Amino acid sequence: MLELRGVSYRYPGYARQVLSGIDLSLADGEIVGLVGPNEAGKSTLCLVASGLAPASVGGTLGGEVLIDGRSIAGQAPFELASRVGLVFQNPNTQRSGVTATVFEEVALGPVNLGLELAETVERTRWALATLGIADIAGRDPMRLSGGQAQLVAIASILAMRPPHLVLDEPTAQLDPEGTRLVGEALRALARTGTGLLIAEHKAELLDAICQRVVALDGGQIVLDGTPADVFEDPRIAAIGVEPPARVRIAGALAARGVAAPGPIG
Amino acid sequence: MTTEASTPSLSPEDRAYLRSLAPATPSPYHRLNPLTKAIVATVSTLAAFVLGGYVAPAAILVLLVLPGAIAARVTARLVRVALLISLPISISVALVSVFTRAGTTVLFTIGPFDATLEGVDFAAQVIVRLFVLAMALGLFGLTTEPRAFVVDLERRGLSPKIAFAAAATLETIPLMIERALAIQAAQRARGLDTEGSLATRIRGVMPLVGPVILSSLTEVEERSLALEVRAFGKPGRRDLLWTLPDDARQRILRWALVAAFVALTIGRVAGLVPALP
Amino acid sequence: MSSAWLRVGVAAVVAIVVLVVGLAMFGSFDTTANPDTGLVAGSNSFMLVLAIALLVGFLAYALLEYLQTRRLDSITRQFDTRTIVLMPIAIAINIVLGQTVGTALKIPLYLDSIGTILVGALAGPIPGALTGLLANLIWTFVLAGTPFGSPYAWPYAIVAAEIGLLAGVFGYYGFFRSRPNTAIPQLAGGLAVAALILFGLVFYGVLPFYAKGFTFFGDTSGVDQFFVVIAYAIAIGLVLALAALAIQLFVKRDLGVAFIVVGGAICGVISALISAPISAFVFGGVTGSGADILVAAFQQAGSSLIEAVFQQGLLQDPIDKTIEFIVAFLLLQTLSRRFTARFPQGERAVGVISA
Repeated sequence: MLELRGVSYRYPGYARQVLSGIDLSLADGEIVGLVGPNEAGKSTLCLVASGLAPASVGGTLGGEVLIDGRSIAGQAPFELASRVGLVFQNPNTQRSGVTATVFEEVALGPVNLGLELAETVERTRWALATLGIADIAGRDPMRLSGGQAQLVAIASILAMRPPHLVLDEPTAQLDPEGTRLVGEALRALARTGTGLLIAEHKAELLDAICQRVVALDGGQIVLDGTPADVFEDPRIAAIGVEPPARVRIAGALAARGVAAPGPIG
Repeated sequence: MTTEASTPSLSPEDRAYLRSLAPATPSPYHRLNPLTKAIVATVSTLAAFVLGGYVAPAAILVLLVLPGAIAARVTARLVRVALLISLPISISVALVSVFTRAGTTVLFTIGPFDATLEGVDFAAQVIVRLFVLAMALGLFGLTTEPRAFVVDLERRGLSPKIAFAAAATLETIPLMIERALAIQAAQRARGLDTEGSLATRIRGVMPLVGPVILSSLTEVEERSLALEVRAFGKPGRRDLLWTLPDDARQRILRWALVAAFVALTIGRVAGLVPALP
Repeated sequence: MSSAWLRVGVAAVVAIVVLVVGLAMFGSFDTTANPDTGLVAGSNSFMLVLAIALLVGFLAYALLEYLQTRRLDSITRQFDTRTIVLMPIAIAINIVLGQTVGTALKIPLYLDSIGTILVGALAGPIPGALTGLLANLIWTFVLAGTPFGSPYAWPYAIVAAEIGLLAGVFGYYGFFRSRPNTAIPQLAGGLAVAALILFGLVFYGVLPFYAKGFTFFGDTSGVDQFFVVIAYAIAIGLVLALAALAIQLFVKRDLGVAFIVVGGAICGVISALISAPISAFVFGGVTGSGADILVAAFQQAGSSLIEAVFQQGLLQDPIDKTIEFIVAFLLLQTLSRRFTARFPQGERAVGVISA
């Protein structure tokens, strides 16, 4: 269980509170989506939930971040790596640059954790299989498409078997093919029982796999509920988030006095 | 996930797969431990400089460098590379030293320049040393993958962080070179490299400096966060996927080489070992 | 913690021993080759021996710790993740700029230490020194045979380490801070102090090497004059470039420029003093760059080999290092505060963020 209680956060050297009054919980195996306009604080929330802020980034954290009831304050990022994972949007900067094959790249996390070789190999194989990239295990990580590289990045974090995984706009820098690949990967991730917190602009992805969606605006949580509740709430468009197509179509039809014929897509 | 009741063990197929990840070693010399090859290269180079003359560098080439090159079947390529490296500076050395070194025996004269025998001798000695350097280093470079060297150093106790920094440099350089070349080509198209006054050319450096350097530097933050999330810097030894073998014979050879070099150096400096021609 | 003090003590003793032995054995600044040993007697140079002694002392410290604990933790603990990620990029910057600028843009500068200076200023003297050292070693040993390899870089690794060390120290004392909109009196005072320091450097550290054998309108032999005029032309060109950069910054009334120029000049003089014996001994006075013509010019004007190398170095190095310090200064100002502040020495180097 990953919890944020009354969390506020300020970057070092800046006066503005980027997050304030955040209460958010992620139960084991739960899949939660995070939406909000630009500059709402989604990326900051991801950094705080994974412990990188303030441990690596600095700054001032108010409130508490707890994993299974115990605060993570003061723990170094390498201690938290096996408990909360974080995937960023840029596949290129997540590539370590020191490995010659995808297998070695995915295995880097477990190796860094100091695991025994047999354990490392098993976890690596499992992560590659889960994301469906076992067939490119021998490829050079430098020569992959954006979508494949992002899958490798997700596998690299998954190989450490964290119970909770945070993803900060994983498809933001990908083309449609890459987005499709990552979307499928997220579904596969959901089936592994790992708790997921996915920040995204593309509401369709979240609509399909999330059990809950949280809307963030101006550093505060505005909405928190099931995808249906949140995406059909009129406030979602008001804060600048584009709801999934089905909601927009239903809305357009309703505006013309036509009742939508049930869930679309 | 449920915890495993028994710890997994490596199957023979897994072991074979992991071994296949290590760099290929097509000859017995390639198969030598990287540290051995590094020490051979270092001792050869330094000994050539310490001993000086012509006989010593030739002996070093024949005793330390050529056997390895032949065993690794890279002799032709090595000589070509070594000549390529040492030729430009050899020309510079020749031009500067031959004509400017004070000497008594004038061989010939070109205009106001006097070529002395002492100058030719000095230049020749320097060129010979540089050639040995190029050969020794070239042999190491042609038979050792940098990744393998870094992995071996980590097995011997080098911090994983420093090992990472060394290995990461090897990827960063080609990437940055690509970016720099692209910008250079654009600069040349705009005539900013060879034309203009010195001040213009200095100002021409900044557009090169800017994109290449700034873009690399701004990535540092993202890259370090991405590494920390993968437990980078966790203290303790890492169980690496593959390592390079080492044996007692190589260890003895390494110590013998270092000891011989130290002895020769001390003897040389103290005047005990005579200067060979 | 007694084991740490033991290491420091042993390292200090080793460094002093190497220093004494080195000075005793090569006891002169004589520049002719000793016919017996073949070594250029003047290859000692106090600065070079000192630098080697410090390096050996540091290695003794590291070796002892390795033998004690099988690891080098007290040193690596100073390197946090950002430093580790920055170092390869800094090394690549050194190599790419050093190889490209010198050859492609045909500027008589080295410009191969900007990465080192950045790491030194942001992360500290030890990471800076290591960056310089590794950059030169990789430049030669790893890139040998590739278009970006240079076989001449490795002996100067110790000079590069000294540059990183100095950059770290200067960064620690805030030399890289921008101080814009300084009041005119303070600006004038700062410039006066800087000018005084520079004058002292030149008078005591540089001019003695030019005392003999460098006449402008000396012998009427046409050769002498030709080379000497070229030497002056290059020198004046470099000084003009430096002045142009400095003036651009003075326009913003930024007192930081004074600090940077002084820091660069000091670094340049020390670098020249260490690298001259290396050039003379290892490469016979040839540095593999356009500086060779300066060396030849000075030799033609009557200097011996090592004197000529000193004269060339003391002309080119301070200017080159000052330009590099200025470039690093500009870069540090351009980079966002959020980037620089998180480095171990970042806030000290660039100044505290306000609001």
